[in-house]
Amino acid sequence: MMDYVILSLTLLAIGIYGLLTKRHLLKVFVSVELIATAATLNFVMLVPSLGKGLGEAFLILAFSTDTCVSGVILALLVVVHKKYGTSDIGDLVKMEEGKEKSEVEA
Amino acid sequence: MILEILSVGLIISACLAIFLDEAVYSVAALAGTLFLASLLYAFSDALFAAIFQFAVGAGTLAVLFLAGEMLSETSTKTSQKNLLLIIAVGVLLSLPAIFLSVSGTPSVLSGISFGEALWDSRAVDVVLQGLVIMTVALGIVIVLHEKRNGEK
Repeated sequence: MMDYVILSLTLLAIGIYGLLTKRHLLKVFVSVELIATAATLNFVMLVPSLGKGLGEAFLILAFSTDTCVSGVILALLVVVHKKYGTSDIGDLVKMEEGKEKSEVEA
Repeated sequence: MILEILSVGLIISACLAIFLDEAVYSVAALAGTLFLASLLYAFSDALFAAIFQFAVGAGTLAVLFLAGEMLSETSTKTSQKNLLLIIAVGVLLSLPAIFLSVSGTPSVLSGISFGEALWDSRAVDVVLQGLVIMTVALGIVIVLHEKRNGEK
């Protein structure tokens, strides 16, 4: 039961660290991918205890969810980069704050 | 032994994917992570999971390489010293996983072929998930199309 748990926890920790500390949107996406990989590793590890059919169903669900999340994040990434010309979260926040200030002043 | 080596490689490539400064190298490290995860599943007799992981990873990374090339703005480079430090951190982080866990053999497929598992046991799941992915892809295309029309 404990097989691979610590490995997937380590991957999860690296992913969460990246999600919290990195400012580039692509790095955030990479972090989300690592978290999804950790979750999938857990599903693979849990398959024998869940039963074959249920385990496989969870596994397919995890993979398809991962793919959907990747697609949505990539689309958002492209839209944000096209609209603002940057992929840095800090710059995006500053731009939005500046926009709000100018609207209040007007 | 092979599982331990794959685990160390998995953690090191995950660390490189997070800590490398260049977007394209970071994506390449992520490719390594997904490939090693796929190999880990294959060597653990989870062939079904390995093939799916490889297919999903290949699709995601093909798009990510393009996005990484497009979105990389700065040309900062990770120094040799930092690279070695990241690898050392990866090895350190993988030690608990090696000594405390990796040893078992989870078995997704036991006694049935991949084709049987995919089309006899889980055909409805596969078709439904394909439908979900297609709907999401269509949604993304519509959103991007609307966005482009709005810009014009």
